[in-house]
Amino acid sequence: MRGNRRSLRHLSQNSTNSDVGPPTHQRVRSAGSPSCIIQTLWAKKPIKKMTAQEVRLCGLLLQEHFGEVVERIGTHLLRGGAQNLRTIANETNTPLDLVKKSLCVLVQHGVCDFGSGRRGPGSPVEYRGNCERVLRILRYPRYIYTAKTLYGDTGELIVEEVLQRGHMTMSNTVKTVADRLTHNMEEGRSMEYSEVVSSFSKLVETHFLQRCPPVAETATAAPSATPATHRTPASVTPPTAESNPDCYKLPPVTLTGRGKRRRSSDDGEEPGGVKKAKMDSESCGDEGIYWQVNFERFHQHFRDQAIISAVASKLDQTSSEIVRTMLRMSEVTTTPTAAYTQPLSANEIFRSLPPNYSISRPILDQYLSLLVDDPMEFVGKSGDSGGGMYVVNLHRALANLARATLESVVQERFGSRSARIFRLLLRKRHLEQKQVEDFAMIPAKEAKDMLYTLLSENLVQLQEIPKTPDHAPSRTFYLYTVNQLPTARLLLQHCYKTVANLIERRLFETKENKRLLEKSQRIEAILASLQASGAEPEQLTEVEEMITAPERQQLEALRHHINKLDSTENQVDETIFLLESYIISTKSK
Amino acid sequence: DCIIKVKCAHIFELCQQFPHGITDQVIQNDMPHLEAQQRAMAINRLLSLGQLDLLRNSSGLLYRMKDAQTASKMKGSDNQEKLVYQVIEDAGNKGIWSRDIRYKSNLPLTEINKILKNLESKKLIKAVKSVAASKKKVYMLYNLQPDRSVTGGAWYSDQDFESEFVEVLNQQCFKFLQSKAEVARDSKQSPMVQRNSSFATSHEVWKYICELGISKVDLSMEDIETILNTLIYDGKVEMTIIAAKEGTVGSVDGQMKLYRGVNPIIQPTGLVKAPCGLCPVFDDCHEGGEISPSNCVYMAEWLDF
Repeated sequence: MRGNRRSLRHLSQNSTNSDVGPPTHQRVRSAGSPSCIIQTLWAKKPIKKMTAQEVRLCGLLLQEHFGEVVERIGTHLLRGGAQNLRTIANETNTPLDLVKKSLCVLVQHGVCDFGSGRRGPGSPVEYRGNCERVLRILRYPRYIYTAKTLYGDTGELIVEEVLQRGHMTMSNTVKTVADRLTHNMEEGRSMEYSEVVSSFSKLVETHFLQRCPPVAETATAAPSATPATHRTPASVTPPTAESNPDCYKLPPVTLTGRGKRRRSSDDGEEPGGVKKAKMDSESCGDEGIYWQVNFERFHQHFRDQAIISAVASKLDQTSSEIVRTMLRMSEVTTTPTAAYTQPLSANEIFRSLPPNYSISRPILDQYLSLLVDDPMEFVGKSGDSGGGMYVVNLHRALANLARATLESVVQERFGSRSARIFRLLLRKRHLEQKQVEDFAMIPAKEAKDMLYTLLSENLVQLQEIPKTPDHAPSRTFYLYTVNQLPTARLLLQHCYKTVANLIERRLFETKENKRLLEKSQRIEAILASLQASGAEPEQLTEVEEMITAPERQQLEALRHHINKLDSTENQVDETIFLLESYIISTKSK
Repeated sequence: DCIIKVKCAHIFELCQQFPHGITDQVIQNDMPHLEAQQRAMAINRLLSLGQLDLLRNSSGLLYRMKDAQTASKMKGSDNQEKLVYQVIEDAGNKGIWSRDIRYKSNLPLTEINKILKNLESKKLIKAVKSVAASKKKVYMLYNLQPDRSVTGGAWYSDQDFESEFVEVLNQQCFKFLQSKAEVARDSKQSPMVQRNSSFATSHEVWKYICELGISKVDLSMEDIETILNTLIYDGKVEMTIIAAKEGTVGSVDGQMKLYRGVNPIIQPTGLVKAPCGLCPVFDDCHEGGEISPSNCVYMAEWLDF
């Protein structure tokens, strides 16, 4: 079962900000300075509108991961926009210190950020929730799994720890991960810190981990870069991680040591040792440098994976390897929202192909021209120098993937003939009723029925073109059409609702069987303690039989249900990722 | 007046010489001394006698000798019938609806109906049921074949759309293209050759279907192309057009259409793996309502699967 209920217990972590709480009025600034204008503009930044489904899903995710109090505060923030501390406390009827602690948690995880209020730097600090960040929680398993495939168990644990804590220093991460790995190893072996450090640095080099953005301290001096006469702010938003030039630089500390095996008998014995460990961490030298997971980089990786598998199914394995090479070469040179990668010459591609793919140069040229000629237009040719300059059409590929997703949903939900009509309308844009019947070769009555069903589900729209100014129905053309972008948004909302439904069902199933679960946990605890103290086999079997066979079956069924619901959530999240990437890519074109 | 009659006879002889019709220019060349007014009178007389047909082509008016048989048929009818007959004849093989006949000839409805019944009994025209609107009848000349838009062409037999026939053809074409693509893939030649050999022209598919002999009706290449287009809309096939020399088999206007079987680019998407993705009452479902995730029947069934 998911055990990620982090309530307020990890507040012992150092938080990156020291001034959470009622604003100190020492931050007095002259009214006309640029930084206060920057701060005011932050408060006026338009908030992304959230739909009811998104709020519901965010609420469920927050509750599962952080507990009820944080969920209440978080949902209130997401619904209400930027608010100051007093407002939050009053409107949610929560005591002030609980509000402060919840805000701490939210800021630690990057869900909430803060800045000066609407009325200028003197007004109370306002807090703003970030809905997208909460929705990323759904994707945590995928991030962890990717780290595992790329960097092994060490990488997996590093990413898992950083995700769970939000922000962590490198030394802290290394120690925790080393301890966990040692715990899973055999007796007598332990994990070297240096191995963990090397995995950590690999993650940072490939930009999967990044330093947390520096906090916009309002007490610091005005940034000297912006001239006093200039009104336009350098950054209206709080500084992003990328704006820090040291974003991907490892701190200059050396960590030596090995992981410590956590023994249950050791707990009470060495308070001195525990204290010593604490003192060690404080002297490591990288205090204040916190690391977070770079979600954009992971998303880039997922997008590349989707494109490569699409090419593999459409064409063949070798073509997908070529596209994989091209994408790998453009990893660091292309911005995440670019419509296509930087041009790569055929010579470069040839040199960078993996060594076990020995294809000759003319064959490579043939594959490249086949990729260019393919109607899906994954790859485009942008010039002829260097043996041909090729780009990967990222936006086009995402649009094709989104389109295939829409078609797949229509096909599964309404049948292959409706899918035929849907694809037909996607291709031909606007068609009359009669033309739809003719092109799709479906009898008139059935075609009408299918079109009306799709229309009622809002997957197909009707466009009226009047012949006469009085819009008389008999003298108007009615054309059916499909718009890809709005339909993608609609399906995305459906996905959010589906995931929320799955989570609710899982909670319901757990609640229904609470008594049984508690009993089985008690039995397991008894068994474990008996085994540790060396009991005889008869005692163990006696304890085991306290759970009857039908109860065991019920437990099995419950476990099966929960796993199925969990895995389906991840699968729906894949659809969410494709649709979100397509929408973002289209918006930024 | 006798001069006019003589001129009429002269013009009629000219028409007989040129059965495809003569223009004004030809008459003028032959009888240069004939004034334009007299010429017009002569032609009008021949027209009213029903011995000449007046046609228009791109270069002007054309006078043609009327077919003797039809000329005799129309003898018994009066002018109104002749008018209606003319209108129907002009409609060619698409036929014309009775209301349109009324607009064109400006005759009242009762007259039209009487005339139509009359003409039908004389076996000069016939009524054909249109496939688009089943209640609508269009009239056309008796010996004409109705146009495809009226009868629906090869896919309709007696006004019924033959969906099983279309389905069978659909599957056969797809199997043909798929097996061709597989053969090309297994041949392990250079990728260009592989791709080119996985294509099939519409002509090849047409030949294959004809040889299969599953169709009772003769299918033309355009029919096969409409079937292949439905395969494109099914997402199973893609098409390219290449330039072809005039005269190569299967080329139309210097182009050839090539079809190829393709695989879908993604697996069925994640949303449809959840019961909510396919749920018919998705919009009615919310927590605490009659239909909610906690008491959802579809979920219960799906979980126990």
